[in-house]
Amino acid sequence: MHAWTWLLQRISAVILLIALGWHIALLHFSKGGAPLSYNDILIRLNTPLLVSLDVLLLIFGLYHACYGVYSVFLDFDSSKKERAVVLAFLIAIGLGFAGFGIFGLFTIVYSA
Amino acid sequence: MPDVLRVKVFRFNPDSDVEPRFDEFEVPVFENMAILDVVMHIQNYMDRTLSFRFSCRIGMCGSCAMYVNGRARLACRTQVSSLKTKDITVMPLPNFPIIRDLVVDMEPFFEKWKKIKPYYVSKKEITEPVVVRPGSGEREFIDDMLDCITCGCCYSACSMAATNSEYLGPAALNRAYTLIADKRDAIRVERLKVVDRSYGVWRCHTQFNCAEVCPKNIVPTRSIQNLKRRCVFYKFGIV
Repeated sequence: MHAWTWLLQRISAVILLIALGWHIALLHFSKGGAPLSYNDILIRLNTPLLVSLDVLLLIFGLYHACYGVYSVFLDFDSSKKERAVVLAFLIAIGLGFAGFGIFGLFTIVYSA
Repeated sequence: MPDVLRVKVFRFNPDSDVEPRFDEFEVPVFENMAILDVVMHIQNYMDRTLSFRFSCRIGMCGSCAMYVNGRARLACRTQVSSLKTKDITVMPLPNFPIIRDLVVDMEPFFEKWKKIKPYYVSKKEITEPVVVRPGSGEREFIDDMLDCITCGCCYSACSMAATNSEYLGPAALNRAYTLIADKRDAIRVERLKVVDRSYGVWRCHTQFNCAEVCPKNIVPTRSIQNLKRRCVFYKFGIV
């Protein structure tokens, strides 16, 4: 299991680099540095490619963060029970935030 | 009057001392003096109760590793002049239980060493000597990593070994890699399964502390990263 999660951590890191770079470029430089209006955001969120990019960023960002926290936890002595509790907590947090983020994203998409 | 070193030595006898202390000594300097000469001078002429471990005196046995001026080093291979100071602090290796003064219990280190089965197991079908080409990059890499003298410097410098008592540590993982990378080895998969655990290769965060202090200039982090790749390849059925 560790080999797969480690590999996914590496893959998520590469995806984050690309997706985050793209996200920052769209957010800060797409109008020559001028701030985006709410309408600009709505137009952006009606573009399937850009919505996919945000979903990717959300999912891989959360995975990367949660796995990172779990990895730091494993660096310290812990019992099997403690490990299971922390893992379950992080999975719940990750899924919760992912669901909340995706719900928020598509609420905006369908409201536009 | 000859030059003198001001030496602070960690002292602790768990049988009689409540807590550790530092004793201070003034030791005359001589040419080409090593840290081992310093502690031997103290033991011979100043305090015969000082305990430390040494054997070969030429950097081969790995038994005289100590924490000198904030860094794990072999006492026999550390020239006093290389420290560029007359103030020297000698302590036992961190991350090990202290037996007495500068002598540490290497048992936790060798317990982990044993877990990876640190010996070569030949495949039964191999009856003739195997030709390993001298020019093969893999062989050269293994050759470098075989220089380990199990002094424990890497283990003492590793922050993961400090926080996780189960972590196999740089030396054992490096040894595992030298055997797993050897195509003649019969129990490569078994070894891979041992290192592919939470307390195995996955605890290494590539901080390179082990490489920083290795008196043989080995880079265990490199072996550990290679092991991680091999663990992933193994999941894809490539051994």
